[in-house]
Amino acid sequence: MHYPWWHVPGLTAPMLIAVISVVHVLVSHYAVGGGFFLAIETGHAHRHNDRAYLDYLKGHATFFVLLTVVFGAITGVGIWWTIGLASPLATETLIRTFVFGWAMEWVAFVVELTAAFIFYYYWNKLSPPLHTRIGWIYAWAAWISLVLITAITAFMLDPGDWSPAHNSFWVALLNPQCIPQIVARTGGALLLTSLYVYFHSSLFVREQRLRDLIQKRSSRPALLGAVLILAGGVGWFYFLPESAWAVLQAAAAINLLMMLIFALTILVLVLVYLGPYRNPGWLTPGFAAALLALGIAAFASGEFIRESVRKPYIIYNVVFGNQILTGEVSQLRRDGYLEGGAWTKPYVAAKYPGVMTAGRIDPQKLLELPPTDRIHLGEVLFQYHCNDCHAAARGYSALGPQLLGRPRDMILGTVEHLEVAHFFMPPWAGTPQEAEILTDYLVSIRPPRPAGMQPLGSAKETP
Amino acid sequence: MDPQLFFRLHDAAGVPAPFWFVELFKVLGFTLHMVPMNLFYAGTLVAMLLGLAHAPQGRRFSARLMSQTPVIVALGVNFGIVPLLFMQVAYNKAFYPATILMAWFWMGVIALLIPAYYGIYVYAFGLRGKTPLAGWRRGVGWLSAILFVAIGFVFANALSLMTRVGQWPQLLEDHGSAGAALGTALNTSDPTFWPRWLLMFGLALGTTAVWMLVDAAWLAGKESDDYRCWAKQFATRLYVLSFAWTAAAGTWYVFGTWRQDVFKSMFSWPALPLTGLTAAAPGLLLAFLVWRRKEPLLDRRQTAWLGLAQFGVLAVNAISRQVVQNLELGPYLNVATQPTAVQWSPLLAFLALLVVGLGVVAWMVLQVVKAERGIRPS
Repeated sequence: MHYPWWHVPGLTAPMLIAVISVVHVLVSHYAVGGGFFLAIETGHAHRHNDRAYLDYLKGHATFFVLLTVVFGAITGVGIWWTIGLASPLATETLIRTFVFGWAMEWVAFVVELTAAFIFYYYWNKLSPPLHTRIGWIYAWAAWISLVLITAITAFMLDPGDWSPAHNSFWVALLNPQCIPQIVARTGGALLLTSLYVYFHSSLFVREQRLRDLIQKRSSRPALLGAVLILAGGVGWFYFLPESAWAVLQAAAAINLLMMLIFALTILVLVLVYLGPYRNPGWLTPGFAAALLALGIAAFASGEFIRESVRKPYIIYNVVFGNQILTGEVSQLRRDGYLEGGAWTKPYVAAKYPGVMTAGRIDPQKLLELPPTDRIHLGEVLFQYHCNDCHAAARGYSALGPQLLGRPRDMILGTVEHLEVAHFFMPPWAGTPQEAEILTDYLVSIRPPRPAGMQPLGSAKETP
Repeated sequence: MDPQLFFRLHDAAGVPAPFWFVELFKVLGFTLHMVPMNLFYAGTLVAMLLGLAHAPQGRRFSARLMSQTPVIVALGVNFGIVPLLFMQVAYNKAFYPATILMAWFWMGVIALLIPAYYGIYVYAFGLRGKTPLAGWRRGVGWLSAILFVAIGFVFANALSLMTRVGQWPQLLEDHGSAGAALGTALNTSDPTFWPRWLLMFGLALGTTAVWMLVDAAWLAGKESDDYRCWAKQFATRLYVLSFAWTAAAGTWYVFGTWRQDVFKSMFSWPALPLTGLTAAAPGLLLAFLVWRRKEPLLDRRQTAWLGLAQFGVLAVNAISRQVVQNLELGPYLNVATQPTAVQWSPLLAFLALLVVGLGVVAWMVLQVVKAERGIRPS
């Protein structure tokens, strides 16, 4: 509404954020946990003068740098790109609140990057204690990045006592979800790193002693990580806003994913305990790949849930999913959604000057337009009010199939009372006349009732 | 469509930093970003071309720069975060619409950067071996160099489109669906776009030339004097090319494409000295290089000053660009008068952390320097 809407056919623009975010977190958590792994294990190998282990760690560091410094860093920038494109109002709000949080994270990133390159390129050129110290600098800098970013994403789920009027950075940063999510993500970083290490070492280490050593040593952070995930997860659950609780209970898919994430985490914990910890010999490349796949599935589920439970908000009680500030709804209902939009008003004024009265869109005149124009403006409303979460006729959460079989009046009633029909939907933010023309459009994309269905008994009895 | 309407809604919260602070970090960040970015934007292309050279020194420089490029790209990406962050703080109303109108191309930066960056590693790892570089690795190197130029093309599009507000309605009309953007627009019809893109490439050639001198004096201790002499001569010629290129593109940009009001402002007080300095700065550096052209080598002190001078060239260019950007946006958005709600304690916390962070970086670099010199590090 404040910005032009980016129409991504079939998928919806915010789904691009989800795709890039999930791919990114699978690497960024490894970037954090891997820092601790390399610092601790390099120190251990130096202390025991274990040349074979140091050689392995050098190889692992190459894999680590190539994955995290290139793919991890660029997909991190990719998240910036996509949130600005698909959620500009929420991004603007977050940046106005957390610019110095991100600036601090950038400082951590500078330290991280310098340490990573020195640690990698000066392998064997620095004294062992100094080399290990550089590894620790990397690890803590990366963890500070995790803390800051997690606090910001946690804010989106529950800003706590923060208000846009006061815009207190510290209140926003220390939100109720901050600690539980930091604990869970720290655990996730440790666990996921061990799974990467298992997979990498199962492929590249031939010597049995070394394999056993790597797997045994990596199982402790994995077990600690699993415990932290569960502890953080319980905290996350406990501090959820009431509406997020309700979303969890109401949506079957989220319910299922919630069960899945706990089940997968516990399964990984058990397998790590029975496998690498108790019986390191079990860890074949196949077993390691399965463990990594289970871990990735748990992570992806967790990210999906984290995004879903915020509905209908992008920032809880501040920005709705469809890029409207919560405080704007009443005015939009009074003046009109098309009139209130920074991009919809000039569009309507240029295309349909006949609906303008004294420089404003006259809602009543919208109903006087020919049916094709009403449908077209209904589509404009759909783009700006609905397309954040719904594709049109086909695609992600498409509205067409969901309206199948519904009569026009029922669709109109749903549009006018969106938040009543589904409590996790944003409220209708337009005039009654705009609801009419949006309904015209929705009816135009509604597929016909499937042939052969007899909802009220036999075909003969149906009027 | 009336473009003024795009700017009429209030932001959710005030700008959390003073105007001068936003501008300072935006310009400083952009200048810092330009140094490494110039090296992978034009530098990789120069290096790939020199990789084909008959002169062994040319191939040597090619290998040197391509080996350094993985770190250079990382720094470029990292420093790019700062201007991007502060641009979104105060220029959100111009930046988001411009990038949304060309969303798929803007997303393309990420899609192009990942293979370009991996390609650089593939090439650099190939240089570590004792055998000649495999043909496929050369191919990957060329691909990376071309992708970097393509990324520059997209950036020039986005940043020029940011200020071309009057054209937004037409682009939305041509590349839209029911009032929403399809993200397929480009700003190539903007007369300022092409000279801007070329201007940055010219500056990048100059930075590459200066880097060649700095590298030869400071980092190429194991190279022969013959190499260093060649580097000095080649860098001088490259800087001449950069100067000619920048002068041509800059003249086209300023005299051929600037809006009248922008032109008038930039050529009158108080912006006039800045405009003059921006135009003259590369010439001063060129004059020094021409003056010392007979000398076979430049010493470390001279190259350090040259490095700083090129940083200055980029900095005045960045300041001028910022002033021009504000003038171009002026009819729609006055960034300086936006409501502010300054977050002083986070601002100070950031500055404190920046000092600590730079201290840690300096300490680490010092340890590396000691290690390089063979001194047992502490």
